[in-house]
Amino acid sequence: MARKTDLLQGTLDLLILKTLANGALHGYGIAQRILVTSKELLQVQQGSLYPALHRLERKGLLKPEWRQSGNGPMAKFYSLTPVGRACLRDEKEQWQRYAEAIAMVLES
Amino acid sequence: MFWKRKETELQRELAHHLHHLAAEFERQGYSREEALRLANREFGGATQVQEQCRDERRWGWTAGLRQDIVFGWRTMRRTPVVTAAAAISLALGIGANTAIVSLMDVVLWRDLPVPDAKQLVLVHWRGHGFPQELADGAAGGMEPENGWDVADFFSYRAFTQVREGVSAMAKVAAFTYHHQVSVSFAGQPTVAMERAVSGDFFGTLGVHPKLGRLLSDGDDSYSEPAAVVVSHRFWERVLRSDAGAVGREITIDNTAYVIAGVLDPSFYGLGPGDAAEIYTPLHHARFLHDGPAGNVLKNGRFWGIQLLARRTTGVDDARLQAAMDAAFRASWEKQPKNAAAAPRIRLDEGRRGLGDPRKQLQRPLLVLGALVALLLLIACVNIANLLLARALARRNELAMRVSLGCGRARLVRQFLTESAMLAALGGAAGIGVAWTTVKVFGQFLAGDDTIPIAFVLDGRTLALASAITLLALLVFGLFPAFQASGWLDASWLRQGARSAAPSTGRGWSRGRAFVALQMAFSVILVMAAAIFTRNLVTVESADPGFDRRNLVLFDTRPGTSGYDKARLAGFYFNLEQRMQNTPGVSMAGLASMRPMNNGGMWDTVQLAGQPQSYDVSVNEVTPQYLRIFTPGLIAGRNFTQNDLTNPASVAIISGDLARRLGGRGVLGRRLRMVDVPPGARQPEFDIIGIAPDIAATSIKDRPLVLWLPFGGNSPAATVALRTAQPPQAVLPIIRQAMSEIDRNLPMVNTVTMEEQISKGLERERMFATLCSGFGILALVLSAVGLYGVMSYNASRRRGEIGVRLALGARPASVVAMILREGLASVALGIAMGVPLVWFGAEFVKKELSGIKPMDPISLCAGLGIMLFAATLAAAVPAFRAASLDPAEALRQE
Repeated sequence: MARKTDLLQGTLDLLILKTLANGALHGYGIAQRILVTSKELLQVQQGSLYPALHRLERKGLLKPEWRQSGNGPMAKFYSLTPVGRACLRDEKEQWQRYAEAIAMVLES
Repeated sequence: MFWKRKETELQRELAHHLHHLAAEFERQGYSREEALRLANREFGGATQVQEQCRDERRWGWTAGLRQDIVFGWRTMRRTPVVTAAAAISLALGIGANTAIVSLMDVVLWRDLPVPDAKQLVLVHWRGHGFPQELADGAAGGMEPENGWDVADFFSYRAFTQVREGVSAMAKVAAFTYHHQVSVSFAGQPTVAMERAVSGDFFGTLGVHPKLGRLLSDGDDSYSEPAAVVVSHRFWERVLRSDAGAVGREITIDNTAYVIAGVLDPSFYGLGPGDAAEIYTPLHHARFLHDGPAGNVLKNGRFWGIQLLARRTTGVDDARLQAAMDAAFRASWEKQPKNAAAAPRIRLDEGRRGLGDPRKQLQRPLLVLGALVALLLLIACVNIANLLLARALARRNELAMRVSLGCGRARLVRQFLTESAMLAALGGAAGIGVAWTTVKVFGQFLAGDDTIPIAFVLDGRTLALASAITLLALLVFGLFPAFQASGWLDASWLRQGARSAAPSTGRGWSRGRAFVALQMAFSVILVMAAAIFTRNLVTVESADPGFDRRNLVLFDTRPGTSGYDKARLAGFYFNLEQRMQNTPGVSMAGLASMRPMNNGGMWDTVQLAGQPQSYDVSVNEVTPQYLRIFTPGLIAGRNFTQNDLTNPASVAIISGDLARRLGGRGVLGRRLRMVDVPPGARQPEFDIIGIAPDIAATSIKDRPLVLWLPFGGNSPAATVALRTAQPPQAVLPIIRQAMSEIDRNLPMVNTVTMEEQISKGLERERMFATLCSGFGILALVLSAVGLYGVMSYNASRRRGEIGVRLALGARPASVVAMILREGLASVALGIAMGVPLVWFGAEFVKKELSGIKPMDPISLCAGLGIMLFAATLAAAVPAFRAASLDPAEALRQE
């Protein structure tokens, strides 16, 4: 198994927003989705996920909703608000510029 | 509740996550328990995550506050005595401060209860001395100010001309000083304070009636029937709150008036403590017509009217002043030779009413304000110390909370919440304290002829109490909070629950610093108590020069209750005889001026043919009166009944005056009154006797006195009675005798001489009483503070003391050691406080009439009391420490 990388400070919010762009998910689902889509390279610290979710909710980027998960118990699902969608766009651009800049410096 | 639901949701959300994680592990082949354990480990402490989530959420704030309050309440309940003591001391401090500042507000800052009070101006003039060229007499006040004399009296003609001259710029109204009159309503005689006002006085102020109508311009003329407006207080007191009294007749100084209306209770007069109760129109005020100046309204050379004005919007003071000045000059019969020194109009702010109570009370209020602020500081330091000690005792709990994920900010907030709860308790109780305190203050501040100053509990007062509470909270709450949060560094947390105090050295020295600070403040308050108490005792027990026991005084006002000039002398003669023969009365005498009344009549005299003149207190008395106050004359003879009725002018002078004039040789010489209007004849008197010096006007000073025979033509007189038994036993007989002489003649201001003397010492008594109260409180608070720090310190050093005792130290040396440490901080405090006392004493010099500010006896007494209390407070923990069982102490270590 490849070595798992801890998240850079501040990137968790972006990953959550991106993960939710395709539809509502509960907390565990978000963690799983990030792990899967990063081909298990990015490991979300399970504990730090929830404070982040609550922070985004407070900022009005996420909308929570309680509903049945599959055939299991009720779970809290998060989805993007329009503000959250706009924020994702901005953050994504910013991240790409940042990554390019870092890459340019490293490869020069 | 909202926060509760959110809390459950959060738990469910996290449980859901853990459930999935555990399921995952179970799929990987772990047992159920193993899977749960792994899930929890993977997740990281659920409690911590919960706490972080709460912090992230908006509702976390209010929920946290609620938790803080519940938690704080629990902490406070755990130590009820300490909490109560803290809240009570805080309540006393906040209450006393609120009371003083409320009084300052009422006396110094509050506007008159009239619409647009800021438009009001008081019209004064300034000049150099009395304008001899323009006026013969005056009624009013004149005070020096920056090289000028500022006066408030005008002729009636000046009033009418100024009013006309500025009619486009301002409304001008006139009023007089209040004075005592005899009043009879429905057959009940009494006395009251009358103020004469121009017809538009109430209209200019913008006051409204509660009943009937107020005076108008029409009332202020001879052609109209005499009408009178009464204050709400008078309506309650004399008219028995009878709404039917309006329109009925009332007799004021022998003249019939119709009650036109009753003033609204919100109008307390022209300033706080204004005693005026009945308002008559200038044209119907008897005293403006029957006095020595004749008809004041017609006499342009008698200046006895005061003015106030209401500016029209947009008019500035400079223009108004110039216009008034022109009209004022035009009202003079002739222009003075020195035009530069002539009176000129000066306008003063009138929004707060007349300035006299402000001037008189400003300094005492400031002094008291400073003292109560100190009291509050002491209380705050005590509470800070207490909270700090409690925080130390709670270290284990704090350590636990921090390791469970509680943030530092949250901890500081917890401390602040607890302090704020304490402050709120104290502040709420403080309003009650303020309510009672201010009543006491109001009584004290009310002088001889002023009414108690009313205290209003309104938004301003409440805001004030809250502000003071907040200030106190900042002083005592912030420090322990940050102090406690400072302990939360890693090294201390690692010590965890062990019993040694963190950074012990610093903690101890801070406690001692607190004690020293408290002692420094307390020294000031205790010294103030000692100084003012000794001042009162000294003044009150001063020898007035006569026997003050068994002496009764009352006034009678026959001249304003139906006796004309022809019958007055006979009435007085009869009165004195009758009183003389009343059982229980050994001597009865009459005087035109009440003794010991902080004032009286003053004049300037000189020996005929000598330039040197002297200010003397003048009183017209009967021979019997002199016999009551002096056992016998130093030289010469007393007045005789013949002197009273015979026009030959004779005088008796006090021993001091005789010495100044040249000793016994002045007997038989002629004494001349200097201060008379130019052109008038200066009255002269043959000196027939020299009387011993007595404190005639006030226990606080001994003026030169000129005694003249009581001629019996003054409308009022004071009766002095020497009783054979205690006055209280004789008074009913005296009242009976008085009502037999004339049932309609009230006895006014009936008091014993002792009461009369202490009435003149209200200011001194107020300072002594209040400062003693403050001093005792300060002493108790700082003793408690010292005791707390000493016991804490002693209990922390149990181990060390145990070792000392085990190694053979004598208990006495342990006591001495602890006492020494305690008293060292006390000494430091006293050393800091005494210079402050020295500065403060200079400031209160004016309030001390009996002793010097740095009176050695008071200072020693104050220091003695301080040291005694401090030793007591330090001795208890010292002895407790010395009686330790060493084995027991060491085992605990």
